[in-house]
Amino acid sequence: MFRQLLGRLGIFLLSLVAASFAIFVITQALPGDVAAVILGHGATPEQLAAKRAELGTDRPFLVQYLEWVTAMLGGDFGRSWFSHLPVTTLMAPRLGVTGSLVSGGLLLAVLIALPLGAVAALRRRQWPGLLTSATAQVGMAIPAFWAGIILVFVFGVLLRWLPPNGYVPLGRDPGRWASHLVLPVVTLGVIQAAVLVRYVRSAFLEVLAEDYYRTARSIGWTKWRALSRHGIRNASLSLVTVLGLQLASVIVGAIVIERVFVLPGLGSLLLDAVATNDLVVVRGITMVLVFAVLLINAAVDISYVLIDPRLRAREAS
Amino acid sequence: MAKSTALQSGARARLRTLSVLVAAVALALTACTGAGQQAPAPSGAPTAGATSAAPAPAPEETRTLVIGATAEPQTLDPTATDAAAGPQALLYNVYETLVRLDAAGDLKPLLAQAWDVTPDRLTYTFRLNPAAQFSDGTPVDAEAVAKNIERIQTGTTAPKLKNQMEVVVGTEVVDATTLDVTLSRPSVTWLFDMAGAAGIVMNPEGFDAAGSETAGSGPLTLDRWTPGDSIALKRNDAYWGTPARFDEVTFRYFKDPNAMNASMLSGQLDIISNLQAPETIDQFSDEGRFTIIEGSTEGEVTMAINNGAAPEGVPAGTGNPALQDVRVRKAITMAIDRRALLDTVWHGKGTLIGSMSVPTDPYYEDLADLHPYDPEEAKRLLAEAGHENLTLRLRPPTLPYATKAAQFIASQLGAVGITVQVEELQFPRQWIDTAMTNADYDLTIVSHVEPRDVATYANPAYYWRYDNPAVQEAVRKAGEGTIEEYTTEMRNAARIIAEDAASVWLFALPNLVVTKEGVTGVAENANSSLSFDVTTIAKA
Amino acid sequence: MKRAELWVGLALVTAVVAMALVSFVWTPFDATAVGSGPRLQSPGLPHVLGTDHMGIDIFSRILVGARSALYVGIIAVGIAALVGVPLGILAAWLPRWGAEAMMRATDVAYAFPALLLAILLAAVFGASTETAMVAIGIATIPAFIRVTRAGALSVLASDYVLAARAAGTPAPAIAVRHVLPNVAHLIGVQASVSFAMAILAEAALSYLGLGTPPTVPSWGRMLGDAQTYLFGHPTQALWPGLAIAAAVLGFNLVGDGLRDFLDPKLREVA
Repeated sequence: MFRQLLGRLGIFLLSLVAASFAIFVITQALPGDVAAVILGHGATPEQLAAKRAELGTDRPFLVQYLEWVTAMLGGDFGRSWFSHLPVTTLMAPRLGVTGSLVSGGLLLAVLIALPLGAVAALRRRQWPGLLTSATAQVGMAIPAFWAGIILVFVFGVLLRWLPPNGYVPLGRDPGRWASHLVLPVVTLGVIQAAVLVRYVRSAFLEVLAEDYYRTARSIGWTKWRALSRHGIRNASLSLVTVLGLQLASVIVGAIVIERVFVLPGLGSLLLDAVATNDLVVVRGITMVLVFAVLLINAAVDISYVLIDPRLRAREAS
Repeated sequence: MAKSTALQSGARARLRTLSVLVAAVALALTACTGAGQQAPAPSGAPTAGATSAAPAPAPEETRTLVIGATAEPQTLDPTATDAAAGPQALLYNVYETLVRLDAAGDLKPLLAQAWDVTPDRLTYTFRLNPAAQFSDGTPVDAEAVAKNIERIQTGTTAPKLKNQMEVVVGTEVVDATTLDVTLSRPSVTWLFDMAGAAGIVMNPEGFDAAGSETAGSGPLTLDRWTPGDSIALKRNDAYWGTPARFDEVTFRYFKDPNAMNASMLSGQLDIISNLQAPETIDQFSDEGRFTIIEGSTEGEVTMAINNGAAPEGVPAGTGNPALQDVRVRKAITMAIDRRALLDTVWHGKGTLIGSMSVPTDPYYEDLADLHPYDPEEAKRLLAEAGHENLTLRLRPPTLPYATKAAQFIASQLGAVGITVQVEELQFPRQWIDTAMTNADYDLTIVSHVEPRDVATYANPAYYWRYDNPAVQEAVRKAGEGTIEEYTTEMRNAARIIAEDAASVWLFALPNLVVTKEGVTGVAENANSSLSFDVTTIAKA
Repeated sequence: MKRAELWVGLALVTAVVAMALVSFVWTPFDATAVGSGPRLQSPGLPHVLGTDHMGIDIFSRILVGARSALYVGIIAVGIAALVGVPLGILAAWLPRWGAEAMMRATDVAYAFPALLLAILLAAVFGASTETAMVAIGIATIPAFIRVTRAGALSVLASDYVLAARAAGTPAPAIAVRHVLPNVAHLIGVQASVSFAMAILAEAALSYLGLGTPPTVPSWGRMLGDAQTYLFGHPTQALWPGLAIAAAVLGFNLVGDGLRDFLDPKLREVA
């Protein structure tokens, strides 16, 4: 088993290298000379050369890539082309915002999707199950930002129950932190739950088709008892995988939600950097987001090895 | 004018360019400034204990003011870039200048109680207010002012400000409160520039950390800066003049005008500094809750025509040669119903103009009807010029007002037989590179918010590619003349370019401010200092 | 029930396609000419869904917008399928280590969701419909690789393929003659689901200002524009939102319905 864990770790590291290389290639593909873009027209050849040297863009591609990676390992993501502040300084205060939103959204999505998914599976031929499935289908079809805007309109502007946008750090005022996060977390969580319900449903359906469930039912156990005894544990395995995969879409969904609710998170920073073409910042944030996704996926993989006896046995054979 | 020489150095040019554009993004959110309309200005010549209309706040109550704004500063040093966002939040509120601009656009004393000018208009003597002190208690003395002038000239400050300060050849500290400043040539504009970011007097102790901390002498100081969200200012308890009316003033930044409106409607904001989507103004029609203030800005929304000049040292440009014919340019102007365009694009708010000048300019002349809307005459002019089958590329930046206007103009030029191909350019990079740098366009649309920017027509390398010695001569004379000569010559220049139909000036941007019931003293017009001056604002 | 899902989905998709086709020959008003009616009109006559902020008939714009939606979907899914299907078949053919490497590569690709990739590409190459479509297409490739490979593995193990191989039929011929027809239904299901995702992603990008330019009628762009008027004119945002939701729902239902219809094992469970 130790060997398998090492293998997973190796795959994770290789994935990181591949992802970072892809990000670097894309952000280096900027048409034209970066120095010229920063300095604008009329820059003298000397100024351009000096800027290239400063940015290091006059060196071979691989050297630049390796330097970027090495610097990142030391916690240095470079400096913004335009504000000249270190990218880490720009990102640091925003991690908490995005973290609160993503974890809140994911938690809410799971809390909604688990019971609804179970209902959709167990009552799949009756109206509660059909209704749940249909609602989930409709929920998946609604653009998240549209839902967010409507929530702002209803709860922020018409009823004025909740602040329509903005952010207050947890440390300054926990009450206001929570109230500002309600609408964004609900938007993100509900839309993600719609996707998740379907996975939960099929995970439970798989369990229903398994022999042990049928056996339990045949000896007179109720559906719910059989499912809670055998189902949840078995379904949770595939759910963990699904959650890992979903995380990527939650993080990306958060980018849009941050814009709708004016949250100063990583997504807003990314979009601002895109607007000003600050590719150093774009590159740094993309790397952080992709790193988070890969890390979670690796964690899921590893927990799979640890939890699932069948998988362990199969790998060993 | 410094402006006409702005394109001499690459880096300078880039930043100058950006200033127009950054402002264009923010669309003249620039600022409202000056003394208030309703509340008396406390800072004419503030001395400790000056009278003020501010009601004394209850001691235990925190008095706050929250302002919604669009463009966010990248740095807390308003002199580091020429973006409007820094001065908007900090000028007159945190940082002070020798003189200030009031709502009428007139110069008023601030750190300087008084000033004299020698008859040759080359030496200015400023007498500083002896009470003035920085927030750490050090006095604002002549030495500090001199160091700030030197910093603008030699430090890492915005090229635009360096250009404004270029005319200064020397400073002399006469005594602690008296400073002489000598200019190389008479300048009408220098003292006005000194009322803006160029004239900021920063505590020399704070020069090094200016990007992340403030070191001013104003009634407010920095409380906290949350990038991507807000700048919070707090009352400077040691202020030397009339104390601030608020304990806390927060500028909150919104990329999305809709989010800003939602915040205002929900009661989170006290003021929208400049409404970015004028068509949403009806949302604030409830007079019991909101007040709408319609003023003016220095911004002209302009459809640039590539006039085709190709001076040495700049890319040749790709303008359609037909546009070098004044008849074609006039025809284009006359084919566009600018009133209908203003109604569609900017909800009818704003003023129709006929040249690169806004009604608040001292040299303004109403030329809006010089080439009135007349599609038949436009067709006739095109036929006379032999261009009945003209195809033009309209390349607007990806900014909402520009793309809306482009859609409208394409439709109207089509009606007089000009085929218009609309090709959007990603803003800012692609637009700057394509339209502004390489003049690779026939028509484009952008808002120019710099004050006195009629002078850009004196620079053939500017992206208008307009080369007319008469305009260049007028602008040169204006910069070096007396106030009267300045006004005459600038008016002259504005008239020549209008008669030449060098561009199509679509409309002057309005300054649309929304305030919550009970907020008073917000200036009606935005002026060239770019400051959103909260010192005049009161809240019931 | 499952049939119902498929039929509802097909009805919605047909409606979208019909709207797009009709828009080529007829729209009540010109969908791009400014001022075909007064601005910001409520639904009524002659503008059944009202007019937008430029005075353009919304119904006409919705009709033409169906073209953009289909265009984005077709190109994005086309890119994904053209690259993903051959790679998927290849992955099924490769020896174990090769397949393993390839599937790990698709795992890495999964860490770049469509929207993130589109934002990244927009930062570098500028925002446009084309950038958005290419990004969505590339981000969808891994899904096609996985689906195709899974299907191809079982086909490759079947008797007739083994026979064909024994008879010396060249690999490309086997892929085209035997594998492709037998995985086509799986690809169809994936295409339908990806189509829905592409429409949603384009809408989100347009909202962020990184998608379709305003001169082209597009539902995502209309929705982005309309939100400005939400407080005063809520129906402005209603129509494009409904159009997007209907199209996405339609393609998702067709995908699900097809899957259940074609996969007897699943049908039994459901």
